[in-house]
Formats: sequence, C-alpha cells, structure tokens
Amino acid sequence: MTPPATASTPAAPRPTKRAPGRRLGRQPVREREGAAWVFLSPWVLGAAVLTLAPMVISLYLSFTDYNLFDAPSWVGLRNYVQMFTEDPRLLRSVGNTLLYVVIAVPLQLALALVVALALKSLRRGQGFYRSAFYAPSLLGASMSIALVWRALFNDGGTVDDLLGRLGVHTGGWINQPGYALLAVALLTVWQFGAPMVIFLAGLQQIPQELYEAAAVDGAGRWRQFRSVTLPMLSPVVFFNLVLQTIQAFQVFTPAFAISGGRGGPADSTLFYTLYLYDRGFTASHMGYASAMAWVLLLAIGLVTAVLFRTSRAWVFYAGEEARS
Amino acid sequence: MPRTTLRAAGAALLAGTLCATLAGCSGSSAADEGGRVTLRFTWWGNPDRAERTEEAVAAFEKRHPRIDVQTSYTSFEAYKQKLATQAAGGDVPDVVQLDYRQISQYAGSGVLLDLDEQQRALPTDEMDRTLVRTGKYEGTQYALPMGLGTQVLAYDAKVWRKAGAEPPKPGWTWDDLLTALRKVARVHEGPVFTDIAWNEDWFELWLRGHGKSLYKGHGELGFTAADLARFWEFSSKLRRAGLTSPARETTQIDGAVENTPLGRNKTVAEFNWDAPSAGYEEIVGDGLRLGPFPSVHKGEADQYFKPSMLVGIAANSAHPREAAQFIDFLLNSGRAADILGVDRGLPVNERQRARVLPKLSGFERTLAKANESVAGLVKPPPAAPPRGDIALQSTFGRDYDHVAFEKASARQVAEDYITEVKSELRDQ
Repeated sequence: MTPPATASTPAAPRPTKRAPGRRLGRQPVREREGAAWVFLSPWVLGAAVLTLAPMVISLYLSFTDYNLFDAPSWVGLRNYVQMFTEDPRLLRSVGNTLLYVVIAVPLQLALALVVALALKSLRRGQGFYRSAFYAPSLLGASMSIALVWRALFNDGGTVDDLLGRLGVHTGGWINQPGYALLAVALLTVWQFGAPMVIFLAGLQQIPQELYEAAAVDGAGRWRQFRSVTLPMLSPVVFFNLVLQTIQAFQVFTPAFAISGGRGGPADSTLFYTLYLYDRGFTASHMGYASAMAWVLLLAIGLVTAVLFRTSRAWVFYAGEEARS
Repeated sequence: MPRTTLRAAGAALLAGTLCATLAGCSGSSAADEGGRVTLRFTWWGNPDRAERTEEAVAAFEKRHPRIDVQTSYTSFEAYKQKLATQAAGGDVPDVVQLDYRQISQYAGSGVLLDLDEQQRALPTDEMDRTLVRTGKYEGTQYALPMGLGTQVLAYDAKVWRKAGAEPPKPGWTWDDLLTALRKVARVHEGPVFTDIAWNEDWFELWLRGHGKSLYKGHGELGFTAADLARFWEFSSKLRRAGLTSPARETTQIDGAVENTPLGRNKTVAEFNWDAPSAGYEEIVGDGLRLGPFPSVHKGEADQYFKPSMLVGIAANSAHPREAAQFIDFLLNSGRAADILGVDRGLPVNERQRARVLPKLSGFERTLAKANESVAGLVKPPPAAPPRGDIALQSTFGRDYDHVAFEKASARQVAEDYITEVKSELRDQ
C-alpha cells in the first residue's frame, strides 16, 4: 500500500517573510521540541490516559478477582486457567466467533471485489455509486441499523414475509439458532463499502499496458482477471483481509442489538466480545473479563501473524523480481 | 520569540479547553448554588411508570422548591449494568431503585447509606413491618420497599370463558392449570400458554411447593440438578404437546412485557409479576385478568409477597437528608400515593394502602384483588438471594434455550447450570 496522501511529510515550520530569516532558521532545537510537545499534548494525554493506562490496569486486573465493588484480590493465573478448563460457554463463544469470521469476511471481500470491478468500468456516475455503496459502512456500526436489522429478520419481519411468498417459511431468523448468526453476518457483508473503495483504488493502479499485452496474447476476460488483476491486486486483497479479519473478531454491536445483549437464541450469536461484556458488566467479574480481553488481543495478534506468514506464498508485490 | 510564546500559550489554552470539556462530561453530582440542591434519582420501568414518576417528582419539587430532582430510567437489564458501573466508579446517584436480588450485592459493599441515620426525615413506622425487613442486610436497614408485589397468572378471561375453563382461584394446583389449559386449547388455535421454564422465578415457586428453595443458608444451593431436570422435563412435555409456546417464541422474551408471547398476542396466558402485567392491557384488552399462581398442593399458596422493588440512598450522597425527604414523600405521602397508585405494586405505607385501594379502578383494581385473594394463604418470602444471583437469573434463561431448542437433554443442561451456579457463588 502506498501511504495515503495526507500522511506526507509533516508541515515543517516555514520561515515567514516578515521575520528576520537568520534568527528563525537557527531556533534552538529544544525550544522547537517544546512547542511540538505542546501541540502533541492533547493526543499524548489522550493516548496515555484513555488507552495506555486502561490497558495496563486491565492487564493487572486479569490476574485478580474483581467484582467492581470490593478491592481486587490477586488470584494469579486462575482466570486464565478457568477460561480454558471450566467454562463451556466461553468455548461456544470462540466457536461462534470463528464461524462468523469464516463466513462474513470472505463473503464481504468477494462482494466488495465484484462491485469494485463493476464500478471500475463504469464511465459515468462512478462517484455516485461509490458513495452509495460506501454509505452502509458509515451507518452499519450504529445501534439503529442493528435494530432495523432486527426488525427485518424478526419473526413476521420483512425477510420472513418475502421468503414466505416464495414458499419458504422460516418463522424469523433472529429467533432461531440455525439462522441468527447468518443474519448478523449479513449485516457485516452489507457493509462492504470500505474494502470496496480500497479495491477500486487498487484496480485503478494496475497499468493498462498489462491488459493490452494480455489481450494481444489472446487472453479472454476471465484469463485477464486471473492472471493480471488478481496478482496485481493481491497486496490490496491482503490488506483488506487483514483489516476485516481483525474487525470481524471484535464484532459486538450488531450481535448485541440483534440478540438483546444475550447472544441468543441458544447462545448461537454469543460472540467472544459479547460474552466478555456479559462476564464484566452483567456478572461483575471484571478480572475474568480482563483476562478474556487479553486472550482476544493475543489471538488476533496470532491470526494476523499467520496471515502475514501465508501472504509470502500468494501476495505479489510489483518490482519484487527486480530485487531478487 | 514572543511569537512562539504566543503560539505555545494558544496551544496550551486549546488543550486546557479540551480538558475542561472532557471533565465536564464526567458530570459532577449535585452542585450547590445559593442553597439549591440537586438530587439524582434513577430507576427502571416503562413509559407509563415514567409519566407517573415524573408527576410525583414535580409534586415533590413544588413542596420543596429548594430541591431539584433529576430522574432517568432504562429497562431493567440495562439498569443493572449501568448501576454496577456507576458503583464501581463511585458515582452512584443520590436515590436509587433496587431489586430484591441486588440488595446483598450493594448493601455489603458500602455503596448504600444506613437509613437509620436519616430516620427523622424518613420515618418507617406506618410501613408494613415484614416488608420493611426485606431492605435489611446483616441487621442494617439499607433500603426500603417501594411496593408490594406477587406472582400472578395473567390470562385472557374471554377465551377462558369461551372454553368453559375454570378460572384460577386461590389454592388451585398445577393440575387444575393443565386441565384448564387443555380446555382452552380446544377453542384456541396454536399454543395457549407461555413456556414457564425460562424463568428462575417460576422454578423457585415450583421448588417451594416441593418443600425446597433456590438457596439455603449462606449462598448454598437449595436444589439439585435432578430437581431442575424434572422441572424442565415437565415444561418440555407441555411444549411438545403444543400447549405452550415453541422455543422460537419463548426465546424472544427479554424482560419487557411487549416482547413476551402473551404481549405479542401469541398465547392467551402467561406467568408474570403483578405490577408489570399492566403492560398486557394494550394487547389483551379488557379481558385481561390476574389470577393466583398455581401451587403444588391443593389449598396452599407457593407464591409470596415480596418488595416489587426497593429504594436506597447512595452512601456518598452529598445530600442524604434531602434524599431521605424525597423517599419519605414517595412512600409516605398521600399525594404521591394518589399519583403512583399501584404502579410499583401495593403501597408499603399501610395507611396509604388502606386509603388508595378502594379508589382504584380498571386494571389497578384487578391487580389489588389478585393480591387480596391470596393474602390469607401466602407464607413468608425467602431470604434475599446471595451475591452473584443476579447474574444467574439471566444464565437460567439462556441455559433453558438449549433445552427448548432441543440442543441438549434437560438433565445435561441442568447439570451445566449447577456447575455455573457453584462457580458463581464460590467467586463471590
């Protein structure tokens, strides 16, 4: 990925015309650093107070028994041991989360790629369609959309009604263990706008000559897609895959809203994060919830590392051959 | 040089403003301005209760122009989480509504004020003695009941009559209920009764009838996996026979009356507590009646009277006296009793109860009658459940989902539940 344009070299202090250039140019470094810190302070303060400190505290809490009311008491590794040995519901939540990631991420990326390909060849109105398809990504994380989804897939809701007319009687999706997870996954798939925009940018970077050369060699459209588009796009595919996988592991709002915070029916939408929330805020086991949060962090790190490892086999960076 | 100083100062100012804004968000409680006092009061309930509560608050503020009461309410599930978080942050509102199942959690943690300290502002001598005791924890009065409630069978009397089924009456049994349901099922299409086994409250009454209880002593379990499996097998039999709501209906129950099968017009009878049953009126219409809860043995009552909810004062409230005055107004004054009616259950103040009951009409009258009809039969309520119980309440329903959807046998899920209970009680 090329870095986004906005992140180009930070604006260095430019000498102004009015001030005597000599003195400004040799401003003591320490003084300039001081000014930098002052400007950085809102961010540094925010990161330290709102991110770093809570992380350190949560790491500490993960080794304690803390019920929100009494002072935390040190229990060593007990929370971690309990997670893997005597909590069947946690294992179910891991299974649900994995199933969800495996369903939602590939579907979402495939849809994003298909739409990006269709939009790429569009001569007019690309901007409009791009925005239109991107809109769900902006709305999708909100509670209100999750509630709309709930209404759509409810017993007697729109989807049930439409399918009923086709002769398929489901009796609602969100209230049946076999369908509920699918309804949540569809909500994620529907938000394919962000990866789509990135795909579109990637597609536009592929040099036209490659297609022309391929056409001269007699390659059809499918062959061109497989041998030119996919390899050239693979870094973008990889980027999207990593990003969406990380996000999918952390899915919370849609499952929370659709199942009313309980991960039902029959624990079928009980995702890891939902169970974490339940342990922390409903059952008041903040120590246990903290341990779960850290395990999630490690798991996501591990999955990302594995993805990076496999990427060597299938991600093609243009100009690589030149180096080797 | 002065230019950079100026810039630095500007940036510092900006950062300062940001911090001030952030600090403003955290919201400090009750600022005094020229003797004015602001109290925060949080509770759970529905819009109807909100309307009545606001009216009572306005009446209080009129009587005490110096005191300003800010209220906020949510559903029960959200309330539990919010209050726990506020307690952890030391930001408990001055006046808080509490559930019977929350008392041991909060009272034992120094979050609530000992109400005896405010006895002059908040006298309890006109209140129902046994009920007042339910707000005690280890000998200290941490909360006061806001109303008296009991378990009921809410049903559509019109359908019942059409079927020629015997209406519920005090001392009736589970067998009588089943006989009536079978009759109703003949004239009504689809399931007639809401599945009973998702709620620990109904299991508790079934246990009582069999001489057992949810808990005994200090956080010990009063029943076995076999007991629970029997209850769940019983309910599964009814479900398979098509008498009670199928799993995909039952699983939608989330604590709000309008999401229960009866509240969504899918069945014609359902167990509930008396006060929230007001919510059925809109769906069921004027056929709505409240009958006594069935018992295991004929002529007895397994149901009991308990505080429908309690109210307490935050230990770190800056205005405990004003908070006590407010509670005194809500519980002891005739004005508040007239406004609140039996919305939070029957009034706890016996003088107000005697005054309010004859004046009731419509559903409120039905509710009062359902209470009166079993008054001679009921036995004392169980002791307040131990810490950790509040989480188990929701675990119970979620575990039953697995039975209802036939994902696992009743016996197996019952054993899982016992494991979860034991681990929960051990951790407390």
